[in-house]
Amino acid sequence: MRAFDFAAPRDIADALGLAGDTSAYVAGGTTLVDLMKLDVLAPEQLIDINRLPLHGIRLGPDGLRIGALERMEDIARHDAVAACYPLISQALLSSASPQLRNMASIGGNLLQRTRCGYFRDVATPCNKRAPGSGCPAQSGDNRGHAILGTSASCAATHASDVAVALVALDASVRLRGAAGNANARADGERTVPLADFYLRPGDTPHVENVLRPGELITEVIVPPLEWARRSVYVKVRDRQSYEFALASAAVAVDLRGGAVHDARVAVGGVGTVPWRLPAVEAALRAGQSHEAAAALAAEGARPLAGNAFKGTLVQRVILRALTELAGPR
Amino acid sequence: MDLSSQRQAVDGQVEVAFKVNGTAERLRVDPRTTLLDALRERLQLTGTKKGCDRGQCGACTVHVDGRRVLSCLTLVAMVEGREVTTIEGLAEDDQLHPVQRAFIECDGFQCGFCTPGQIMSAVAVLREGHATTDAQIREAMSGNICRCGAYPAIVEAVKQARS
Amino acid sequence: MRSVDREDGPVKVTGAATYAADHHPDGLAYGYLLTSTVARGTILAMDTAQAEKAPGVIAIYTPFHPLELRPYAKEENGELTPPIQNTDVRYYGQAIGLVVAETFEQARDAAALVSTRCDAERPRASFTDGLPSAVGTSVVDVLADGVSSIDEALDAGDVTVTATYTTPAETHVAMEPHATVAFWTGDQVTVHTATQGVRLVVDRLSETLAMDPARFRVINPYVGGGFGNKWDMWPHTPLTVAAARALGRPVKTVLTREQVFTVVGHRPLTAQTVSLSAARDGTLVAVKNDGVSSKSASNGFHEQPANLSLALYGSANLHVSRKAVTLDVPATTIMRAPGESNGSFALESALDELAGELGMDPVDLRRKNDTPVHPATGLPWSSKHLAECYTVGAERFGWSRRSPRPGTVTDGDWLVGLGMATATYGAGRGQASINVRLRDDGRAVVSGTAADLGTGQSTVFAVLAADRLGIPVGRVVPELGDSATPPAANAGGSGSTSTNGPAVQLAADAAKEALVKLATEHEKSPFHGQEVTFSAGEVRSGGDGMPFGELLTSLGVAAVEATATSPRNPVRDHAFRSFGAHFCEVRVNRWTGEPRVTRWSCVVDAGTIVNATTARSQIVGGVVMGIGQALLEDLRIEPETGRFGNATMADYLVPINADIPPIDVEFLNYPDTLLSDLGARGIGELGNVGAAAAVANAVHNATGKRIRDLPITLDKLL
Repeated sequence: MRAFDFAAPRDIADALGLAGDTSAYVAGGTTLVDLMKLDVLAPEQLIDINRLPLHGIRLGPDGLRIGALERMEDIARHDAVAACYPLISQALLSSASPQLRNMASIGGNLLQRTRCGYFRDVATPCNKRAPGSGCPAQSGDNRGHAILGTSASCAATHASDVAVALVALDASVRLRGAAGNANARADGERTVPLADFYLRPGDTPHVENVLRPGELITEVIVPPLEWARRSVYVKVRDRQSYEFALASAAVAVDLRGGAVHDARVAVGGVGTVPWRLPAVEAALRAGQSHEAAAALAAEGARPLAGNAFKGTLVQRVILRALTELAGPR
Repeated sequence: MDLSSQRQAVDGQVEVAFKVNGTAERLRVDPRTTLLDALRERLQLTGTKKGCDRGQCGACTVHVDGRRVLSCLTLVAMVEGREVTTIEGLAEDDQLHPVQRAFIECDGFQCGFCTPGQIMSAVAVLREGHATTDAQIREAMSGNICRCGAYPAIVEAVKQARS
Repeated sequence: MRSVDREDGPVKVTGAATYAADHHPDGLAYGYLLTSTVARGTILAMDTAQAEKAPGVIAIYTPFHPLELRPYAKEENGELTPPIQNTDVRYYGQAIGLVVAETFEQARDAAALVSTRCDAERPRASFTDGLPSAVGTSVVDVLADGVSSIDEALDAGDVTVTATYTTPAETHVAMEPHATVAFWTGDQVTVHTATQGVRLVVDRLSETLAMDPARFRVINPYVGGGFGNKWDMWPHTPLTVAAARALGRPVKTVLTREQVFTVVGHRPLTAQTVSLSAARDGTLVAVKNDGVSSKSASNGFHEQPANLSLALYGSANLHVSRKAVTLDVPATTIMRAPGESNGSFALESALDELAGELGMDPVDLRRKNDTPVHPATGLPWSSKHLAECYTVGAERFGWSRRSPRPGTVTDGDWLVGLGMATATYGAGRGQASINVRLRDDGRAVVSGTAADLGTGQSTVFAVLAADRLGIPVGRVVPELGDSATPPAANAGGSGSTSTNGPAVQLAADAAKEALVKLATEHEKSPFHGQEVTFSAGEVRSGGDGMPFGELLTSLGVAAVEATATSPRNPVRDHAFRSFGAHFCEVRVNRWTGEPRVTRWSCVVDAGTIVNATTARSQIVGGVVMGIGQALLEDLRIEPETGRFGNATMADYLVPINADIPPIDVEFLNYPDTLLSDLGARGIGELGNVGAAAAVANAVHNATGKRIRDLPITLDKLL
């Protein structure tokens, strides 16, 4: 961990004013402190944002609004979230451990970095960490890596569970940057759909999202979706807990007369970004069988030597989720 | 800007005032110092263990403002004004906490290295109140790895302490 | 059987137990290891200039600025060469330097500023690629009269199965990372270091620092798990001790979790090709196992997994071979039940396959081949009740509910299967000395260099001494892990209780004698010149008795003590081994294939059980590690680089609480009186042996899929 300055401002403007190219915000610290110890991240200034007024979980006619500093555990246990968006609650509760969920904020969760072992080990090349240095995962240890959205430069899996659920729900993030600050090129507030927020690696895997330097996630907005009450997050891994997904599925169905009328399907553990599956949703809307719909999940997959099984697994996870929600079909 | 809210590093050091097991502490520390290392190396509270230093094992579990967290991923500078409880702060007047007693009676440990973290988690599990079935207790205790494999006895200890 | 709470429970649940890294002598400096990032080659240069200028840095030791260490005199299970004495790199993650600084943060962060240039060669890092050229000529053949080869014997059976079983590298992941704190006082050094035997460390340090063993005091009463990983001394220890001497101040070095994966050894990979041939009634006529293990270029240890095939089931014809593949990987070392854990996975899986071919119940097949003598030597077993383990276990578990047809039982979305396997581990008794000190406060102190890794050894000391002295267990104070005490058994090979237990009993008897002598000979003693006995903690004469503490107090004597030595087991005409039987239920998800263990029963025949409470935890712990071996653990070596691909606790998966069901353990508790009067064999490894095979056999029963390559992950079951 390299030496850094530390500040803990009380309001957002102060935080934005302090932020710059070489600063980092810290909330729970579960990603940042970890990666700083590993020398993967080396900000010169740490801005502790825990005193900022970015709290609150509110369910209203315009959907669910979650302050960026709300902790994963608190969101998961919130009655309205658990009732109206079970997939969010379940995705959160299947993440990490209770201790980590007590620490990690929703904003930080959405920005958590990949668990790729090469990214996390500064002794190895990694295009995401050191652009142009190479990607050992292409031929190395890649059982946990992505099969969707990969490139020759990067196959790192996006690690967040709740981001998968949020992408399925068309959620957005509200961002704020400091206009006019010499160190910040950001220009005030904007709202970005989460699906557009994350960037696939392509040739620039070090650019993971559209966040600008110094910009801060202030809120997560989930639009209303009445039938999201019938939803589930199925996560499959080697251990039964305290592990990242090998494959997961966030699925909500609008069930009418026992048949799927509409559906939301996104998958995790298999993509370089949280992976929405519009083709699977369309097939379900068109009345195709669960199996036929799920079979479309791995279209375009580019498996590596160690993770080819994920192509099958991701279909099975979707099937399992659909069966749980709508019975066998 | 409210400068009083900042503890900007001066001479590379940062001042932190917080409570540990009810006692007020004030430290001048390297901002790189984690809560775990501050407890162990500065305050000589070595009951809290460093098993991985990466948030991957749970041995360093402590309570901050009554919630269980990992002290290895918490910078001590971030607990300014907060109350920290460690394994050393659980027993009262030499009377073991019911969870500590249950861990002994159920033999919920072997080597004892993960035990402070397990016990801090177990105390929190009882306080949180979400785990009622055995399966829920197992899940709620899954953030604390025990390589000796005392898991079944840990589940029994949590149940015994609850009743 | 007694059931006694762990004597060290109160200090372990309050955080008061002091492990090696918990020591903090005044003036402490912090060491941080530098490790190699190539697997094979030569270090050309290490640039330490920037790190030396970093705040707080006191010293940086490298092969170019070393601390002098002499070669080790003898090999245990660790490395042959002490660290940083030359520029050779033998594996990825090797200790190549030590940074010492005023604080942990400064040492860690200065270490990141050191850059190393190597002339790297391509490492030998693929076990599979090395198998065809495995080396070794060690073969054991036991053939019936008139049989000329094992293959001829195999041909003679009615049914033969042959298959190859492979196991990956595994690692111990004891929760306590290896740590050493050293401080010198003149030419004496005190070392707090995590070890399975303080004497091992004294021996090693005296070799490598070329100093009289009497100048070392190694203290380690609490050990945060070992499993074989803290048997030998590893590079951070001599570096820390030598740095503390060079700098004239105490130094503490704690390995990072990542360093624990490479610096302190791992369990080798194995491959076993097993052939079993049986008559139609299930009688084995030939057993053949060709076993291969990986071996690090850094040291000599490798497993001999095939050996177990010589020791478990009766067969007129037996053949075992042992070979090794040398790889440029970190040290291969002992891990819980070395050889036998992997050996049993192959043999017990093969038995299950044979049972399937024969259409026999797997328990019946094992009963059929149970033998009262050691199959290879013909020596009778000292005490063997394996058949009763099968009977009791089958009953407790409900084995009769097993469907003989695989893949036919479902419960909702889960395929359900039952499996079993035999547990076993070798037994023996070495030499140990123990001191018992009866104090004027009425307490008895029992001391010896033994280690309690969480095994319950210190409580066993308390129980045995208390019983011998007739006092409550709570009045015995065990003192383990101090090299200044008499030489007792280190913790390893399931030999602690069998070796140290009799010594505790003898020492307690000797202390009683010393007390009786004092009572009758001391002029001020109320028993002076009388005939006295000692019972229930009291010196007695006629109707009068006096607790020993009271007597000592009245005489102004602080304590009487005695040291006794229990010899090595002299019996040569019997064979010694512990046995048991595992039964388990596994569920496999019909959609996503993940296997989950949902029930377990284990019946144990390990001689006298001194303390059922801690013994049960030992067996449960062995089973849990076996479940990890079966379903999760796989230390992956990158063939190109020799780097471990998953050397973190998030990536090398060990079981967590949610993975483990309740585990039923039953002890038969028949004393093995040929081994010792105490009759205790050993239980540290036993629960681990056979556990993985029981899971694999249950997975087959659930799914019809026979997985011969551990771990059994969901991708193999999709």
